[in-house]
Amino acid sequence: MKTELSVVGHRSRKVDAAKLATGRAAFTDDVEMRGLLHTKLVKSPHAHARIVNVDTSRAARVPGVHAVITYKDVPRIPYTSAGQSWPEPSPYDQFVLDNKVRFMGDPVAAVAAETPEIAAQAVACIDVEYEELPAVLDPHLSMEPGAPVIHDESESYGIYDPSRNLAAHIDVEIGDVERGIREADIVLRNEFFVQYQQHTCLEPHVTICFFDEDGRLVVRTSTQIPYHARRMLAFALEIPVKDVHIIKPRVGGGFGNKQEVVTEPIAAVLAMKTGRPVKLEYTRTEEFTIARNRHPQHLWLTTGLRRDGTITANSLKVLTNTGAYGTHALTVTGNTGTKPLPLYRTQNMKFFADIVYTNLPISGAFRGYGAPQGFFAMEVQMDEAAEAVGMDPVDFRRLNHIRLGETDLMSAAAGEGSGKKPRVMHSVGLPECLDRGAEASGWAAKRCNPGSGVKRRGMGMCILMQGSGVAGDELAAAALKMNEDASFNLHVGSADIGTGSDTTLCQVAAEVLGVPIENIIIRSGDTDDISFDYGAYASSTAYITGTCVLKAAEDARQQIVAVAARMMEEDPEGLLVHEGRVTSLEGKSVTLREVALECLYGENKTLVIGRGTHATKDSPPPFVAMFAEVEVDIETGQIRPVHIVSAVDVGKALNPDICEGQVEGAVAQGLGYALTEEVQIGDRGQVLNPTFMDYKIFCADDMPELTTILVEAEEPTGPFGAKSVAEIAINGPAPAISNAVYDAVGIRLRSLPMTPEKVLAALDEKSERSAQVSL
Amino acid sequence: MIPVSFEYVAPTSVEEALSLLTEHGDEAKILAGGHSLLPLMKLRLAAPAVLVDLGTVDSLRYIREEDGQVSIGAMTTYAAVEHSETIRRVIPMLAQAVSLVGDMQVRNRGTLGGALAHADPAGDMPAVVSALGGSVLVQGPHGQREIDISDFFVDIFTSALEPDEILTEIRLRRQEGAAGSYEKFRRRQIDWAIVGAAVSLSIAGGKIGDARVALTNVGPTPVRATAVENALHGVPVDDLRLEDVSQLASENIDPQPELNASSEYKRHLARVLTRRALQSSLA
Ligand SMILES: Cc1cc2nc3c(=O)[nH]c(=O)nc-3n(C[C@H](O)[C@H](O)[C@H](O)COP(=O)(O)OP(=O)(O)OC[C@H]3O[C@@H](n4cnc5c(N)ncnc54)[C@H](O)[C@@H]3O)c2cc1C
Repeated sequence: MKTELSVVGHRSRKVDAAKLATGRAAFTDDVEMRGLLHTKLVKSPHAHARIVNVDTSRAARVPGVHAVITYKDVPRIPYTSAGQSWPEPSPYDQFVLDNKVRFMGDPVAAVAAETPEIAAQAVACIDVEYEELPAVLDPHLSMEPGAPVIHDESESYGIYDPSRNLAAHIDVEIGDVERGIREADIVLRNEFFVQYQQHTCLEPHVTICFFDEDGRLVVRTSTQIPYHARRMLAFALEIPVKDVHIIKPRVGGGFGNKQEVVTEPIAAVLAMKTGRPVKLEYTRTEEFTIARNRHPQHLWLTTGLRRDGTITANSLKVLTNTGAYGTHALTVTGNTGTKPLPLYRTQNMKFFADIVYTNLPISGAFRGYGAPQGFFAMEVQMDEAAEAVGMDPVDFRRLNHIRLGETDLMSAAAGEGSGKKPRVMHSVGLPECLDRGAEASGWAAKRCNPGSGVKRRGMGMCILMQGSGVAGDELAAAALKMNEDASFNLHVGSADIGTGSDTTLCQVAAEVLGVPIENIIIRSGDTDDISFDYGAYASSTAYITGTCVLKAAEDARQQIVAVAARMMEEDPEGLLVHEGRVTSLEGKSVTLREVALECLYGENKTLVIGRGTHATKDSPPPFVAMFAEVEVDIETGQIRPVHIVSAVDVGKALNPDICEGQVEGAVAQGLGYALTEEVQIGDRGQVLNPTFMDYKIFCADDMPELTTILVEAEEPTGPFGAKSVAEIAINGPAPAISNAVYDAVGIRLRSLPMTPEKVLAALDEKSERSAQVSL
Repeated sequence: MIPVSFEYVAPTSVEEALSLLTEHGDEAKILAGGHSLLPLMKLRLAAPAVLVDLGTVDSLRYIREEDGQVSIGAMTTYAAVEHSETIRRVIPMLAQAVSLVGDMQVRNRGTLGGALAHADPAGDMPAVVSALGGSVLVQGPHGQREIDISDFFVDIFTSALEPDEILTEIRLRRQEGAAGSYEKFRRRQIDWAIVGAAVSLSIAGGKIGDARVALTNVGPTPVRATAVENALHGVPVDDLRLEDVSQLASENIDPQPELNASSEYKRHLARVLTRRALQSSLA
């Protein structure tokens, strides 16, 4: 491989930048389609009810209505909406439509009509008779004896214990935690609470289904998982995979909410019923009420410490609320333990979790995938641990974090994939992240220096790790073909959902083929292409699909070299492909154009097709050291983040702009999680704040100064040394800010979001405590 | 998010606008900056059949000062107030308060007249203008009347304006030795006030003269903190017990809880913000 990189590692402009900026990028809904029908849903007004009767006759008679469907019109096949590899590790507990509703808003019927207005009018004409059932609105009560059973249907399967509303369960131990606690000098036991968070994708869920001239179902959809969606939709509707063609156009954000098959099934059934193109697009309110959210959890963390700062045991217990359906139930909570626990060296670790159903909105995949919850608990606890042994939090991390060459045993014990295997650390850039992050944030000088006014300053930090793809469970395949002008069509199955992965993948191909990035024409996420991919999740695309594109490009390059060697009458060994030419050691050369023409029309006719497939059991973790400076107003309780420094070990920044963008976006979303975002639920299970007015994401004016430092600890198994970057940073703001608040005002906030009222309550409690002490 | 269809008319004078209002009666609504009305229409909480746009009535955009009296045309935008030399010089508190409204887009479109006519107790201007004291000039089919700001806000989203009347001007008076400040608490920069406190007072001979204190979002209208005002009146600045006086701001209110604040917290904020507004007024 060349040492000087000419495309990879450069800040190449995003391949779709111009068309996005000029409004020409076609998102799912950016098509004019003759005869398109619009869909509206009838939604349950109850948190838990059986449908006794549903009368659609009046609705069907509304002029302009083409189809009305209820559970009577769909196959009764339980499936999961979780876009995961087959067989999905999530319970098969959903139906396209059902005779029972399990949370407020659960779809009961769907109408396809000429206009959205007519569809809405018809929805109002559907009479549903419900038998209301007692509801479970508190996850702590889900497993109580006598609690209403949410999934009492006989068809569902893969549920850990339906009679106790237990969707999934985890119980693993490494070493001997009891002994570790006995041997500890200090034991910390704390509880943590985290809330529902919404993804707030700019583009809501939207699907357009129609039948092409060959009678195949075309599904134009805003998805992160084109190939999983094809398989899952075929399964849920009992149609052959070959009859489904998924097209993923531009996607306006996914963040995990589209690692789900959500709008596709109903749109497909309506297209089948009507023979017309049908669109189902969620409104913003529907995004907030019936799409997916980050799982709320109650966590208990016990840590044993020796006075020298070493950790003797970490034991994490979690109660997760998966809501009405168990999509990603096991695996999200799995990551709550498997990401934070192995970051710290101790022989003794325990991880126990119950993931329960409630009659509340559905939880699902969300950037970070369980890790933000776990890292909040772990990193606040580690801050307290450092204090307990009298160490600087950075030094405490330096002492205890996992080292190069060490093994993550947790991922083997409780990991996600089919091929559970211990992860060995081939690259660990944490020491450099800690040094550079501390330096850039002014850690040493600013810590323990809150000032005395009403606005106190504080510094906090945390460390993080994630993965690069699902360990042991990934496959990507790509194809690349050469055209007359030495341009290349690159087909990948991965999904650029705004992350910039199309650009990164083009850079990899361009680098190997010695052409400018403009010569690569990428198409991603079309299931009729020669490609395959598990999709855009688990921070996998750069690492997994990147390697697969690297292989495809190398395959194509070999073919090019073989033809060029014949053209130049040279030995293919030692030929270099560079700057649009194939060059021999003696200085002979042909241009790639000449090779391309030779291939297509010359003596050596062949089509250069590079093929790459990549599967791996590795999932090397990227690392982060994040530092937060905050200001706490002790009178109003307001926490204002002032500066966030993220030092991120990405292995290799294939495109530094894109890496920084991913980190900054993750920090912004993590700030909302830490401070302002919460889907609030009323006493009947209803969402109280389903609008951007009342659901508070961080806006431009609220952002603190951000510093992003890319650290490159080369990963031997990654393309050009790359690991991943997309999710990891979202885990950091909550613990780093909580720890900074402690530095500023001496209170430990263990419940998210950290609202002003929680700050004031903790300050009051603290002053009461100190008053008692002085009595 | 799509309003019911409506007719749109763009008069070029107040008279023309008035006759359109008379003609269409209850069906019609004035459109100013549209930053409160259009959201309501999109949510279908309002469905006027006719919108009478004052945006084309140029005669309603001005800021004038004469003998310490400042007159602001109803269609003057927040941004124009914020950047007006006159306002910054004569009533700096108004410029400061306006800079805290919404974000730049809102301030570029929203108008002072609209903000008052809308009578939203969570809006900033009702409390700010109540604290500044002054009046609004109103034109109706039967001529013009002046309403003291203390009589203007009647109930939630209800002002003393009749449906066929147009608010044309806001009149504020500059006072000798006047000082003031608006403190607004919100979770995010773009948010509406959870609570706001507006203070305007005059100081003469080391003593506080008139003081007016009004609170945002703690009742159905902007709430004058009369107990605070009384406790300030005539007190030498050096003797002022800020904590005790501000405490009074939280005692006579009954704020409704909302998603992001309990009523207890709003009461707490009323005290803290009143004290802060007093502090910066006296600084
Ligand atoms: C995103 C966003 C954030 C906001 N944040 C804030 C905030 O932080 N603080 C705040 O105070 N406000 C905020 N607002 C509201 C904003 O200040 C509005 O612009 C203002 O309340 C109304 O002014 P307008 O000119 O837009 O009036 P319009 O919306 O056009 O009209 C409002 C009402 O007043 C009537 N009306 C308007 N002008 C007259 C007139 N001259 N005579 C008689 N009736 C009239 C209209 O018929 C209508 O009923 C926000 C708005 C948005 C969209």
